[in-house]
Amino acid sequence: MTNMTSPLDRRRHLTGMAFITPTMAVIIAILVYPILQSIVLSFGQSSIDGSEPYSFVGLKHYATLAGNERFWNSLWVTLVFTGLSIPLELAMGIGLAVLLNEHFRFKGIARLAVLFPWALPTALNTLMWRWMYNTDYGLFNAAALQSGIVDRPINWLGDETLAMGSMVVVAVWKTSSFMALIILAGLQSIPRELYEAGRMDGMTRWQEFREITLPLLKGPILVALIVRSMDALRTFELPFNLTDGGPVTATESLSLYAYKVIFDFIEFNYGAAIVVVQFLVIFAMSLLYILTLRNKD
Amino acid sequence: MTKRPRFGLYALVILSVVISFLPIIWLVLTSLKTTEGIYAWPPQYLPDPFTLKNYINIFTNSPELLLYVLNSFIVALGCTVVALSFGGMAGYALSRLGMRRAGVLMVFILAVSMFPPVSLLPSLFQTFLNLGLLNTYTGLIIAHTGLFLPFTVWMLASYFATLPPEIEEAARMDGMGFFRIFWSIVIPLSWPGFVATGLIVFIFSWNEFPLALVLMTQNAMRTAPVGISLYPGEYAFPWETISTATVIAIVPILIITAIFQKQIVGGLTAGAGK
Amino acid sequence: MTEVKLDRIGKSYGSVEAVQQFDLTIREGEFLVLLGPSGCGKSTTLRMIAGLESITKGDLMIGGTRMNDVDPKDRGVAMVFQNYALYPHKTVFDNMAMALKLQKVPAAEIQDRVGRTAELLGLTDYLHRKPAALSGGQRQRVAIGRAIVRTPDVFLFDEPLSNLDAKLRVKMRMELQELHDRLGATSVYVTHDQVEAMTLADRIVIMNGGVVAQVGTPREVYDRPADEFVAGFIGSPAMNFLDLMRDDTGRWITECGSLVLPSLPVDAGARRQVRLGVRPEHIAVTAGGQPQGDLDYQAEVLLDELLGADALLSLGVGKARLLARVGGTDHPVQGDRVAIALTAAQLHVFDADTGVALRD
Ligand SMILES: Nc1ncnc2c1ncn2[C@@H]1O[C@H](COP(=O)(O)OP(=O)(O)OP(=O)(O)O)[C@@H](O)[C@H]1O
Ligand SMILES: [Mg+2]
Repeated sequence: MTNMTSPLDRRRHLTGMAFITPTMAVIIAILVYPILQSIVLSFGQSSIDGSEPYSFVGLKHYATLAGNERFWNSLWVTLVFTGLSIPLELAMGIGLAVLLNEHFRFKGIARLAVLFPWALPTALNTLMWRWMYNTDYGLFNAAALQSGIVDRPINWLGDETLAMGSMVVVAVWKTSSFMALIILAGLQSIPRELYEAGRMDGMTRWQEFREITLPLLKGPILVALIVRSMDALRTFELPFNLTDGGPVTATESLSLYAYKVIFDFIEFNYGAAIVVVQFLVIFAMSLLYILTLRNKD
Repeated sequence: MTKRPRFGLYALVILSVVISFLPIIWLVLTSLKTTEGIYAWPPQYLPDPFTLKNYINIFTNSPELLLYVLNSFIVALGCTVVALSFGGMAGYALSRLGMRRAGVLMVFILAVSMFPPVSLLPSLFQTFLNLGLLNTYTGLIIAHTGLFLPFTVWMLASYFATLPPEIEEAARMDGMGFFRIFWSIVIPLSWPGFVATGLIVFIFSWNEFPLALVLMTQNAMRTAPVGISLYPGEYAFPWETISTATVIAIVPILIITAIFQKQIVGGLTAGAGK
Repeated sequence: MTEVKLDRIGKSYGSVEAVQQFDLTIREGEFLVLLGPSGCGKSTTLRMIAGLESITKGDLMIGGTRMNDVDPKDRGVAMVFQNYALYPHKTVFDNMAMALKLQKVPAAEIQDRVGRTAELLGLTDYLHRKPAALSGGQRQRVAIGRAIVRTPDVFLFDEPLSNLDAKLRVKMRMELQELHDRLGATSVYVTHDQVEAMTLADRIVIMNGGVVAQVGTPREVYDRPADEFVAGFIGSPAMNFLDLMRDDTGRWITECGSLVLPSLPVDAGARRQVRLGVRPEHIAVTAGGQPQGDLDYQAEVLLDELLGADALLSLGVGKARLLARVGGTDHPVQGDRVAIALTAAQLHVFDADTGVALRD
């Protein structure tokens, strides 16, 4: 086959290979190889600096993992966080998108305001919120106490149940804008004629939304949902900066737990086993993503 | 168009804008207060007295906070330049140079882009340690490039696909080679795509946390999000300094976002539409 | 000036055979038109000559040299694209000068050659504009000018006029004709517009499904179509086709029995069934007349459409339907009974199974 292709095609292919090589090299070095090495590490015992040679220990770390309550807790925290924040983000996102699709003055400023939370670093966003949540000097407690809604400061980040809620609020604040922008683009691609036809059929505005808008937004919504779910499943700097996983381990996500195991407890190989499990969870999600995209075509 | 009540609409818009800006506004107000003002009861909503002392302090007493911003800038810029160069070439190969199995490669690139960064850490840390790449700009630039190349390739490949191929064919007939076509025809015609992609990659890199946290262990090499997050050490948080440093670190992003709002939104929505 | 020889050229994309066994010699200075329905492989053929598409089978010879593996720029060919394909970020001058610059032609000579070409095409005033600031016709002239400055051996055109509006298309067509007379370069021109093909071509190649259906002068393909496909493709409105059976007495009859031919103008051999082709413009219609000759029939006008100078009549001869083209003044109208007359020499007969034209 190869010796049958024309030199014209061959030159094209060679150029293509040359053009794609740097990218492939970086992707393999930074993304593919580390994953494979993490898998290898998770089946063995070794030290970070290589002073202790690698020895194979089989499923030992996975067995430890299965019996470790803190691991199951972090998996549960991650799933709860994802399960709470995604529906809220979606609802807010749809609301914001419908709002931004209306005609009003100063629309540019409104759109910019919505974009800012997305554009700023999560780590710093989180610090701002942590400051507002501050029990003694934070904005929320100041306002709540002064207005007399409560007579004792609320422990936004120190209470086990409340802390998760506080964390979800920050996530929703930050990422609803992303959802809104994706959905807005979808809204704007719906032909006006459909609404005009709907009006001819005597639809109310709610019926228009139910019968025309939502069904046609299914594609963009699905994409946004899956992208965001994968982000939520690997959330790291949000609990890192907001609560450091606390109180105790009430907000300790899988990423944060893995990080602590590797870099605080220096349990390198056990940490690798955790990240491999996390990788599998997220990889399953990404397969779902790709299958969804396939079905869209 | 029928007239509908506009009052509710404006109320909702104003509410959304206020909620979006609230943490930033509170942060800026904090940075303009004196230390006593920050911890006062009853709480101060507006700075009283208003002071620039915190900003002056950072410039005179805590230059490392400025260094973090500089580090972020170097890394984000380096990552953007490398990602656009490599990603542009790869995107061109995938969309135009008749690569075999281009579709499979695109899906592969999409799939690896979903790897959780923390999964990369054990191995990357070890490799970078052995190669002496920890605490170097080069190291973090390469790592960020790897993280954001998949996005870059997808964005640019789909941008190239919208160009009429005949222009490149005319260039072939005129006697240009593939590299020259890419350089002097495709790049000039695709600059809106490069701008949108570059801005988003710059923001991604500026904001990236886990790799920057782990691969830059020396204080002087930290990027802004990491450096500010770790600034106070283990004990009490000096909010007057933190708020001021955060304002300084987010101003570049705020400016970029405000100026290039259209391009960023266009790029984001195009990227998700794939 | 150069001869181009396509020696059983073929192109396949995996299992799709876009062009098969294209075998033709294009003579020096000839204006050859490739004509055919959408997707028949015209562009693919042209692009194989240009070098934009590799050749999977056969040999391409330009001026006696095998060119299959030669880079486009070294083939001595220039191409004009349907959507102009101008560099939008370069001026008209730079667009036209690009190939010469890449060939390292001295600047003074480039200036001179571009200048003269621009004059020839009336573009002198626009040399410093960008393509976006030009009209469609001007852009197409720049695209042609870009090809001319290179003084190529062979010009290739891929539907160069189809992005222009009808009026401009006629004007540019005439300009192209003039230009070809002046330069006399070998040209290959792809179109699916019959009028362009008939007016510009020295010879027309009609393609169908990746294969050549017929090669001939415009007269030949109109008067003597090689098969039913060509007959139906050339001419507007399209030729009428009728299935004829031979009865025991040797006459040829339509299925409904309303049209009877005492004999065919060609020898049908032992066939019992053929297809008859009659061009709409070859049916003589007389209002209120009575059929007299062997090939005269009584018909009813089912529908009349005035086109301007001409009118189209849908005629019913018993159950058979025929479309006729008649003069646009005082033509018969719907419901009229008319006599129609066919002329033996203008009838086409095709094999009922293969579609090949039967000739003596
Ligand atoms: N890259 C390709 N891969 C697979 N098939 C192709 C490719 N390019 C063209 N084809 C097929 O080859 C056939 C011929 O295409 P070509 O472009 O030559 O047609 P054309 O005669 O120029 O039609 P049109 O009048 O529409 O321009 C078509 O059936 C087309 O689908
Ligand atoms: Mg074509």
